[in-house]
Amino acid sequence: MAPAFPSGDDRADFGTGGHRQFSFHDIVLRNRLTALVVDGVDFCRLVEQGFLRSCGLETQGVNNGDAAVELIASGAKFDLIIIDMFLPVMDGLETTRRIRALGERCKIVGVSAYIGENDREAFLAAGGDVFSEKPVSPEVLIPILRELDGQYSNI
Amino acid sequence: MARRMLDASNQGLLLQFWLATSSLSKGKTRMDRNRLQHQAASMRRSLFDQGYLDEPFIQLEELQDDASPNFVQEIVTLFYTDSARLIQNIEHALNSRPIDFDKLDDYMHQFKGSSSSIRAKKVTNECTVFREYCSAENAEGCMRSFQQVKQDYAILRRKLEVYLQMVRQAAVSQKA
Repeated sequence: MAPAFPSGDDRADFGTGGHRQFSFHDIVLRNRLTALVVDGVDFCRLVEQGFLRSCGLETQGVNNGDAAVELIASGAKFDLIIIDMFLPVMDGLETTRRIRALGERCKIVGVSAYIGENDREAFLAAGGDVFSEKPVSPEVLIPILRELDGQYSNI
Repeated sequence: MARRMLDASNQGLLLQFWLATSSLSKGKTRMDRNRLQHQAASMRRSLFDQGYLDEPFIQLEELQDDASPNFVQEIVTLFYTDSARLIQNIEHALNSRPIDFDKLDDYMHQFKGSSSSIRAKKVTNECTVFREYCSAENAEGCMRSFQQVKQDYAILRRKLEVYLQMVRQAAVSQKA
């Protein structure tokens, strides 16, 4: 049995004045979605995959850009790719460019521990869709997942 | 040294906690089990209030379930392993002459990514300060900031271990 973490008033509002922020459990997917996480730090990749799985996605993880490009080139299909901009050997920008050059049109979210002035523009120019500071939050991810799941189709 | 890292309020919590577990081992009451859970919650609250963790840390706890019963301990252990490696790399880079500030920046970039992913607030903030010194190639500033990073990390690690031990004990008490 998994140890139960404390519940109660210290979970109530995340310090936001009584308004509870998004949780990764606030989404129920109607479709089977898949995601690839590209992050060179094992711990970060595990956390990111954990969040996606808790939302109901099937996930795969790789620790460098070359492996990500090879996976896509081999025909693997994903609805979502999360790429850390800081990767060993081939950085996240180049990885994004090469994935797009293969004709892959899925949603690509770029994440970075630091966001510089031109980082977002560079990522969008490389073919990325959404750029976020690490760690990627439910507020950023859940609307993307709902869109991918077609939950906005009636809007 | 570990005891010095626990401030007075946390030492008080820890003492109450050990008294409660001790009474539990003698076969006591639901009240003791509730007290353990309450104390674990208080310890976590103090981690938030003292700025060592950000409240979205709770999102990580919510990933633990019967399918992944040790998820939090696994990621925390991996965080310690990654952090130890990066701290060693940064120390080595700071002791090299001349200092390679690009390499330093790369290591700290990774460390900030890790610490932000576990919602380690103080450590993450100090990583940002370090990076500013690094960008300015201010070696003395980097060294001072890095001392703070290491201190904040060591305290966080010690408090987190205490908290997770409390959670485990509270879980054991529920089975009793």
